[in-house]
Amino acid sequence: MRILVIMGRVLDPGGIAVNRRRGRIFVNREEYVMQPADRCALEAALRIKDGLQPRGAEVVALPRSVLPDDDVLRLAVATGADRAIHLTSEGTVEADDAGIAQVLAAAAERLGGADLVLTGATTLDTGQAQLGPRLAEALGWPQILSALHVEASDGHVAVILKQGKQYVTVEADLPAVVTVLPDALKPRYPDGVRLINVYKRIGELAAAVEQWDVADLVDVEALTPLLEKRGQDFPPERERGVRVTGAPREMAQALADALRQWAPS
Amino acid sequence: MDFTFSPEHVALRRMIREFAENEVAPIAAEIDREGRVPFETLKMMGEMGLLGVCFPQEYGGMDAGETGYCILMEELGRVCTSTATNVGAHIGIGAMSIYLDGTEEQKQKYLTPLARGEKIAAFVLTEADAGSDAAAIRTRAVREGDSWILDGTKTFNTNGSFAEIVTVLAVTDPTLGARGGITAFIVESDTPGFEVGTHENKMGIRGSSTAELIFDGMRVPHENVLGKVGEGFVSFMKTLDMGRLTLGAACLGGAQAALDWSIEWAKTRKQFGVELAHKQSVQWMIADMATEVEALRSLVYRVAWMVDTDQPFTQLAAMCKMYGSEVASRAIDTALQIHGGLGYTRDFPIERAFRDARIAEIFEGTNEIQRIVIASNIFRQHGVRIRP
Amino acid sequence: MDASYLDLLMAQQEEPAEAEGMEAEGGGGIWVVADVANGAVTPVALQALGAARTLADSLGAYVYGVLLGEDTTDLAQTLYQAGADGVRVADDPSLAQFALEPYLSVLWDLIEAQQPEVVMFGATAQGQALAPRLAQRTGGGLIEHVVTATLDEATRTVQGGFPIYNGEYFQIAACPQARPQFLTIQPGAFPTPFLDPYRKGEPTMIDVEPVEPAVRMLGPARDFDPPPAPLAQARVIVAAGRQAGDFELVKQLAAALGGQVAGDRGARDAGWIEPEQIVDVRGVKVAPDVYVAVGIRGNTFHGAAIEEAKFIVAIHPDPDAPIFEVADLCLEANPQEVLPLLLEALG
Repeated sequence: MRILVIMGRVLDPGGIAVNRRRGRIFVNREEYVMQPADRCALEAALRIKDGLQPRGAEVVALPRSVLPDDDVLRLAVATGADRAIHLTSEGTVEADDAGIAQVLAAAAERLGGADLVLTGATTLDTGQAQLGPRLAEALGWPQILSALHVEASDGHVAVILKQGKQYVTVEADLPAVVTVLPDALKPRYPDGVRLINVYKRIGELAAAVEQWDVADLVDVEALTPLLEKRGQDFPPERERGVRVTGAPREMAQALADALRQWAPS
Repeated sequence: MDFTFSPEHVALRRMIREFAENEVAPIAAEIDREGRVPFETLKMMGEMGLLGVCFPQEYGGMDAGETGYCILMEELGRVCTSTATNVGAHIGIGAMSIYLDGTEEQKQKYLTPLARGEKIAAFVLTEADAGSDAAAIRTRAVREGDSWILDGTKTFNTNGSFAEIVTVLAVTDPTLGARGGITAFIVESDTPGFEVGTHENKMGIRGSSTAELIFDGMRVPHENVLGKVGEGFVSFMKTLDMGRLTLGAACLGGAQAALDWSIEWAKTRKQFGVELAHKQSVQWMIADMATEVEALRSLVYRVAWMVDTDQPFTQLAAMCKMYGSEVASRAIDTALQIHGGLGYTRDFPIERAFRDARIAEIFEGTNEIQRIVIASNIFRQHGVRIRP
Repeated sequence: MDASYLDLLMAQQEEPAEAEGMEAEGGGGIWVVADVANGAVTPVALQALGAARTLADSLGAYVYGVLLGEDTTDLAQTLYQAGADGVRVADDPSLAQFALEPYLSVLWDLIEAQQPEVVMFGATAQGQALAPRLAQRTGGGLIEHVVTATLDEATRTVQGGFPIYNGEYFQIAACPQARPQFLTIQPGAFPTPFLDPYRKGEPTMIDVEPVEPAVRMLGPARDFDPPPAPLAQARVIVAAGRQAGDFELVKQLAAALGGQVAGDRGARDAGWIEPEQIVDVRGVKVAPDVYVAVGIRGNTFHGAAIEEAKFIVAIHPDPDAPIFEVADLCLEANPQEVLPLLLEALG
């Protein structure tokens, strides 16, 4: 079985400060971490691989975008992925999820196909959940979103997810795309020896991270982003100490209305 | 001069920091309160390969060098001195002694399971009459055919109460003293005659085990002699040198933690209408603390680099230990002052760090001994042999 | 009371004015694919309709609602009342429960035939499953979790704002060229429009060819241990202090809001919470979207532990309680009185 895991990186929110009054974002500490949901997707893939021993499965990590360096992919191999593919390009490629989905579908084909694609259900920074379903569409495969638990074997994938207040099990035939929620699973730590070897590029892991040119996979012209950034909006400065007045029943009603805005569930 | 860490060390530090924050830090207060060794954490570290961080991969290690080991000790020291102590005794003096002086067979047999974290190591030297005066040990080893019989009592031993593989220093020739009279032995703790005595009730590092070990007619095969008979003293000096550097790294972690807590508190705590960060007295405390931490950091990693590039480092390692322990003590003391009354309560980690830090100036060679080592080295370079 | 304006309104409904350049037939326009739950149109679908209406009026375009389901034809009237000019209904047993392939098939045919400019979904499980696939299939752009929507009239482009790092700030994006423009709307971000009972219409019924769903529902997941939810990561927290009175009410409020229970040191001393649930610099630092402090006096040590909360509500009888300096919304009241009424108002 071949499992693809699509992984990305995100700026550590602890290093960012937002000044609402001046409408500016300050990056105090530029440190990147793996997208937490993608990390859970990798963990799900590795658990499936563990369960399929000794026949095993091949776990291949691919990036969520054209990344400037392959650190996330090396970390994926250190954690247990068998291989990783780093997407490179001659010039800067600015592609958004629509384009990347096409690139990843082409990469899957070049790898010789896959049985299961796992990725995070959402991104920590932009909260966008579209890559998984877009990739499923580009591949023409079924999708299961927001998984809490994934099991795969013998041509099926079974997923536990939350529907309303209940946990349910759903199933689909492989090949399929499954997206995993952040905090769904406790991700394992990398293996120390694999970590050193994949970063030093020695031993069996010397060639574990391959470099593929995006231009070999798709027509780079066609990757123009569909979305354009048009600036930022900042939440208003907080007005603290606002008193709610009236009889207890009126207070309760006002509070209920306010809470519904903030906690719509 | 390139002061950047290599990519594998950056990745290693990130991994260890996450592990330390998610697995070690949450139970640090509990193991201190209960006075127990966190075996579950040691097991996890073993599975990740961390307990063999500096040993070659052919012996089951990670091959991250002394730099990698310093990174491990710094990150552990940052969250829990007890855990750093357990790991330091295992890697830095226990397994290290076998790595430095063992034969190929001994390394395969003993170092490999230690590096893989399958077994834990200890280094057994100190006795009631032999602390700083290490050569005054009295534990006897007498040759009998193809084995040695060991008798004696060791005190203040870290890890010895649960380690499987211990390196024991014993007197093989009482007439020769340090030069030629002391031998190191690799002992498996399930050997008949190996007893664990009283456990010490300590001020700090209560999540580590400090105990008496009693050897009563303990038979150790001759092939377990580590290094040459009579050259044990030289052997353990080498081992302790390595240990000093990494203790300095653990102190660096502790000092960094004190600094981070102080900055956080200065940002949060308001008095006289403003955060403490706006008060000059606090600013100066933080500036001084940060400068010492930076100086210590530069020293520790420079010495790690010297070890990794096979340069002599004895004098500088002693400086790491001496300066590191004193920087850590000063930093945590200042941090306590900055935190005020709240820092004095058990709800905050400051008081635990305060109690934990103090031992660093005492064990692994007291700071007085370190100063003698440093001065001796300096004067020897200038042609003067210091009379002890 | 002068009700003549109603005549005008009714007159308009009988013959909708033709916007310039638009086919009266019904191509183009701004669509809202409405989620149905428990036999009613979901609030987020109505909110999306309200947003669509505002955009459509500036664009001079029609708003079309799209309803998929079984026995949902009557719900079309709700969409008209909320502002839809036209409603397309696919009413078929195969659409009774949301499933991807059956819904995709209907929507794809519709979109191909009618070429909408904008298609909106609620950011629900259904919307998040459908929108990206339709976007990929049509080559359209998709902005998810939109909380603000303005119009770039020159290019007839919707500028959607969505939260970054859970609302630290909002990024505005637009899809200037590709069509349709897809958006998923964050529940609660847009106001629920007024439902005008005089607005009526005749929905267009869509033929449905049943399509087999690829994902099969196996049933409830028994013996499933959900992943632990640490307090430090909770999105909604209801915390009790000594003045909370009846701790049961606090627990009920937490359940009603889908949040976790916590407290200050007083609550721990009262035996209501475990030490791990203490919110304090000496305990847990929290960063929820909503923090309700019930009967907590609050001091700097508690305040420092909640400073990253997005919205803080405090209920305490003492008007001088320090908690009121950090809370966004302050109720000087006895929690025992307010909480039962609050639980009632939340329904």
